[in-house]
Amino acid sequence: MSIFSEARREFWRSYTSKAGTFFIILLSLISLVVVLTMPLDFGTKYWSNPIYWVDYPKTSPPAWINTFMSEKLVEHQVLYSYTPVQVEDLGGSYMKIYSFTYDFKYNQFPSFLTFRIRGLTFYENPPVIRVHIIRPDNKIISLLTYPVSTEGVSQTAPYVLYKTEPKRFLLSGDPSLFRVLSDFLYKEFHISYSPEKVYSVGVEKIIFGVPKDDNSFEPLNGKYQVNILLYCENENDSLGEVAMVFGGRVYGLMGTDTLGRDLFQGLLFGFPVALLIGLATSILSTILGAVLGIVSGYIGGKTDILIQRIADIVNNIPLLPLLIFFTFIFGGKLWVIVLILVIFGWPSLTIIVRSMVLSLKSSNFVEAAVAVGANSIRIMARHIFPQVAPFILAQLIFYTPQAILSESALSFLGLGDPSIPTWGQILDYAFRNGAVYLGYWWWILPPGLLIILSAITFVLLALGLEPVVNPRLRRRR
Amino acid sequence: MAYSKLGLTKTLTYRGISLVIVLFGVLFLTVIVLGATGVSDRILDSMLMEELRGIRQQLVTQIKDVEQLNKAVEEIKKQLIIAYGLDKPWYERLPSMMLKIITLDLGSAKNIQSFSGSKQISVIIMERLPNTILLVTTAIIINFLIGLFAGTWVATKPGSIIDRLVSLYAAISYAIPTWWLGLINILVFAFFLRLFPYTGMFSAPPPTDPFLRILDLLWHVSLPLLTLIIALSGSWIYITRSLTVTTAQEDFVNVARAKGLPENLVQRRYIVRVVAPSILTNVILGLAGSIGGAILTETVFGWPGMGQLYYEAIVSLDEGLILALTYMFTLVYVIARFVLEVLYVVVDPRVRY
Repeated sequence: MSIFSEARREFWRSYTSKAGTFFIILLSLISLVVVLTMPLDFGTKYWSNPIYWVDYPKTSPPAWINTFMSEKLVEHQVLYSYTPVQVEDLGGSYMKIYSFTYDFKYNQFPSFLTFRIRGLTFYENPPVIRVHIIRPDNKIISLLTYPVSTEGVSQTAPYVLYKTEPKRFLLSGDPSLFRVLSDFLYKEFHISYSPEKVYSVGVEKIIFGVPKDDNSFEPLNGKYQVNILLYCENENDSLGEVAMVFGGRVYGLMGTDTLGRDLFQGLLFGFPVALLIGLATSILSTILGAVLGIVSGYIGGKTDILIQRIADIVNNIPLLPLLIFFTFIFGGKLWVIVLILVIFGWPSLTIIVRSMVLSLKSSNFVEAAVAVGANSIRIMARHIFPQVAPFILAQLIFYTPQAILSESALSFLGLGDPSIPTWGQILDYAFRNGAVYLGYWWWILPPGLLIILSAITFVLLALGLEPVVNPRLRRRR
Repeated sequence: MAYSKLGLTKTLTYRGISLVIVLFGVLFLTVIVLGATGVSDRILDSMLMEELRGIRQQLVTQIKDVEQLNKAVEEIKKQLIIAYGLDKPWYERLPSMMLKIITLDLGSAKNIQSFSGSKQISVIIMERLPNTILLVTTAIIINFLIGLFAGTWVATKPGSIIDRLVSLYAAISYAIPTWWLGLINILVFAFFLRLFPYTGMFSAPPPTDPFLRILDLLWHVSLPLLTLIIALSGSWIYITRSLTVTTAQEDFVNVARAKGLPENLVQRRYIVRVVAPSILTNVILGLAGSIGGAILTETVFGWPGMGQLYYEAIVSLDEGLILALTYMFTLVYVIARFVLEVLYVVVDPRVRY
């Protein structure tokens, strides 16, 4: 007992151990929260599913950069409505009005505009949906008229459409809106713009701006009221959710990539994955290395020679080329990568443990155990293993960053497991899309810093453990 | 003297043989994996089809009748299948497959060309080999020198702030992925500061004047080199420092100081001389890491070496090329290691008995 408390005191004395302990608790907590709150199939279901990210702004820096900017960039905003604010009886049919207000206070325009509906229920003939926007200068633009198409509706009433997958209208690329805006500009400002020109200028500038003399548009700040009108025949017809996406130029805590994926979510999911890869690999290869080392040292003879020859060869192989080769041949499943790292990760521990066991083998307590008649397995497990255990633990911790770094390197080369997002894969995708040449710093900096954080946590712990495991170092301090 | 010479040859022969065993071990392992997964069949198949296409094109000029031509081609195909050993199971083909890899006789790449326009795998690789060697050796030499000088210098001030900073730097550089550091260097020095080029080895078109050409090369190599130095020098300085500190406490060094020898003489003759072989051992141990770092650094900086070729081969799913590169990197490693072992024997008289 006193040995343990002494070891704990020794470990706790250095700042490196304290920092390492702090970080490992932090990493574990974040991983725990991620595992509990995010779906485990996040990779296949969301991350590598481009449709899920359609309504996000593409390659946008994080929103907090606005704090350091003299001119604020448009923040991404999605406005929702779930219940009608007003229902009008039109005699035989009804008009339900859903509404929300967009507060526009920027010096540039939103990057895109999308309208979407989810969960449309109707009982008789399909309803018609109209969307219009009332500008701060009280001018009204009709953004969309959509007679609900009944294609694919085969059940009996009530009919439900767009329940799981919402219906999206990308207003920024809608030709009928180009025509509407062309008319709008002529009627309100006496400027003639062809629909093609509306498209090349961008619908956002016309909806949220006022034309100036030099053919440019000035943002018109103020409150924009968006009204969604549902014309229906049955009083019970309804829309589950209507939403309008005002595309931003900055997004969230960590920004987005070229597909619009929220990097914050991807980075979060990387925490448990990195810990899993690092710990699984190091635990497995440490077990393999320790068992082979103890057996090699204690049994000796031909077993010893065989194990040491193989260890010598594997230890002398340039690792990365072979890792690339094997991952490429066997496919980039996560467990395959872990297995390959284990197969090449054991030899150095085996060689060291063997030499420690050799000196233990001739010690009194082992000889006493042999004299009493204990069998080899019992001696190795009960008498030799406890002696080398602290050293093995230190090696386990020291090998973890190597495993994390190796996996991220393989991922960066495009050999990662595509169904599980990792920090290395985010960087691979960033590199392939030219993020470094385009200056997308938010896409490159955080994943790398997180790799370093997780690796250095274990380096710090290993450094802190060193004087505990190696008493020679302790005295010298 | 004669005795020690005999010992020298014996040591080197032993090391050489064990390295050749490593090379063959890797070859054997790759060939078994390729055979068992059926990949070697695919590689040989595509080589066969390629050769057959060439033969068919030749025959078209000689044989006009389509039926006859097909018959002749079919006949040659049968011969080729036997020649390639595709009629035999994979484990009987192991020796011939190994020979094919050793001689880089692996047909042509899928969609990667050499700079001269050839698709032959051997040509593509041999063209890129010097570029890789240039980058890796320069990085190792510079890191070695930095480690030697900075390490011994820091060792004279154990416990100082600089000493602690070096330890911190070593710990951080152990945790930094070299390739990520490369990305950051491009972002900072090429994108934001516009000091260095993004990729490549020369500007396009490269300068014709030899002197300007060398300057252009230096300008392009700066960022990759800087990346490899920042990423790897930390641990080198730290290791040299630890070795030197231990040696500096030995009695013979104290005696030298007590004799009144000037400090830099003590450093040079009594400490560095003794520490140098151990540092060289670390160069040897760090070799695999340096080569691995270079693979990724080349990819990041578009350096036209074998490492970048690896990335291109992975992207285009080119099995033959990846196989050839794995072999070449092992070969480069084994040769470099042998050279260092020889150097080690020269530097350290103690291993010669």
